Amino acid sequence: MIPRLFTARRYVLSILAWVGVWVGVATVSVVVGGKLWTWDSPAQLRNVLALRLEWVATAGVVGAALALAGLAFQALLRNPLADPYVLGVSGGAGLGFILASLFLSSLLAPAFGFLGALVTVGLVYAIAQRRGRLEPYTLLLTGVVANVFYGAAIMLVTALARPAERGDIALWMMGNIGAFGPQWVLIGVMAALVAAVGVLYAFLAKGFNLVAAGEETAGSLGVRVGRLRMTTFVSASLLTGAAVALAGPIGFVGLIVPHGLRIVLGPDHRRLVPASVFLGATFLVLADLAACLWEGASDRSLPVGVLTAMCGGPFFVYLLRTRWRRAAEVQ
Amino acid sequence: MAQSSRSPMTETLHRADGPYLDVRDLTFAYAGGPPVLRGLSVGVGRGRFVALLGPNGSGKTTLLRIVLRLLAPSAGEVRLAGVPLQRYPAGALARRLAYVPQGTTSVLAFTVLETVLMGRSPHTGALGFESAADWHAAREALRLTDTERFAERNLEDLSGGERQRVLIARALAQEPELVLLDEPTSFLDIKHQHAIHRLLRRLVGERGLTVLCVSHDLNLAGAYADDVVLISEGRVAAAGSPVQVLSADRLEAVYETPVRVRLDEATGRPYVLPMPEE
Repeated sequence: MIPRLFTARRYVLSILAWVGVWVGVATVSVVVGGKLWTWDSPAQLRNVLALRLEWVATAGVVGAALALAGLAFQALLRNPLADPYVLGVSGGAGLGFILASLFLSSLLAPAFGFLGALVTVGLVYAIAQRRGRLEPYTLLLTGVVANVFYGAAIMLVTALARPAERGDIALWMMGNIGAFGPQWVLIGVMAALVAAVGVLYAFLAKGFNLVAAGEETAGSLGVRVGRLRMTTFVSASLLTGAAVALAGPIGFVGLIVPHGLRIVLGPDHRRLVPASVFLGATFLVLADLAACLWEGASDRSLPVGVLTAMCGGPFFVYLLRTRWRRAAEVQ
Repeated sequence: MAQSSRSPMTETLHRADGPYLDVRDLTFAYAGGPPVLRGLSVGVGRGRFVALLGPNGSGKTTLLRIVLRLLAPSAGEVRLAGVPLQRYPAGALARRLAYVPQGTTSVLAFTVLETVLMGRSPHTGALGFESAADWHAAREALRLTDTERFAERNLEDLSGGERQRVLIARALAQEPELVLLDEPTSFLDIKHQHAIHRLLRRLVGERGLTVLCVSHDLNLAGAYADDVVLISEGRVAAAGSPVQVLSADRLEAVYETPVRVRLDEATGRPYVLPMPEE
């Protein structure tokens, strides 16, 4: 029997391979999405190139953030259907972001997005747990209720907003990349955040595996479960809040990417963490490219969140039929 | 069946170096509830197979959770190898003490080998890279529990008895000195109950492992344990060899059920028969 051990060599090689894949996909996306072979003047080429680079960078960091957040929520909540969007965490971030940008200042909006995400995670966890155990049905239903509530609250805010702002809010709520002007500063902050949390999760991955096997077992194998849970919830909320601030609530990336990877790589989080960062980034860059090509062909813009939700709905049903039973039986 | 000298717990307690796991005067109550443990003291000698018996709600699981540091006692102390439990860093404790739950509860489909390699977690670095040594420890654990042929199968696809052996293998891969088991055979049939207990007996004999096994089965405890600790209402009702502890009078008092106790002619070990009420 030849074991497939988890070694430093394999780890570094796989990360290098992923970097290659992402750079390749990003380059293709910039070139194809920008139709760089049809430019008339160097100035036009520069403009299109700058815009495409910004969109691809946005899609990359947002996709990586959402995939990481989804992976972390699934591990710590011990629920295969946990995802920032499904749990209402994106909705909470969205409400915080909109309220702050309408009534305070757009500079504070990302911070309030994070706050909205964190409060939602805390609430959903507090409601769904009973004597330290999470009930999977209650958890998902709490997410459903949170989503309905935040949806209604955002509609209320939209109804009260000035007509000029209504269109912006509606467009943003669909999950949109590049609809709100240049934001390289936000992209830079977000890239740093994704890198930091990615490294953090690489170190927590061992603990994610053990928590999935049960809290007593994790504790007996040296994991400090309470501290792990707190660290993970806060960091995943940060990721979600930042992703929502940058591109609106884009759904289901946190479900599609980690589960797609599990099918190929198995359930080990030590492998899933780096793979989720890069596949998340790649996935959303491709989705953005598809939206971009659609726009080129039809002259109508297609929010990327609509695309991911169209893929995510059927995928959610697939997970419900395959992975859900185990989780529901166990707890 | 391996027979070992059956020195009473009290002798272990008074040995100069003290018991390996030393529980002293533990008191504990869940928030707003009545006390579950009321000054409980237990000693587990190094290299002993100790069964922890007691009725439902007597505090067995609470004691286990305190030793695993999932609960903090309101009074009293637990020492492991002479050192207070709270002085151990989490990883250092996990290299001495392993835990085998009642069954598997993973929501993810790990294979048997992956599950057993998780036992190496306290030995690997922060990123969890595995070395040849980890692989050897895992393979040895698979071999000892006779689970090698399942290595690549999903844990959840095995039968209950096979799964329980894998969980013991994970604990062994941890290379601990003490293994805590929480009713490891309560969902198993008689064949697997005895297979698991023979395995534990053998590990104690051959590897010098110390075992503390929480059990509801008086007869399995009587047949396999070196020492039996009977707890009742958060205190130790009796501790010593199976013959000393498993007496009809004491069991009737603790379990509030009439029983008869006989000695097996071949092994000299006690077995307990509940008496149907007339």
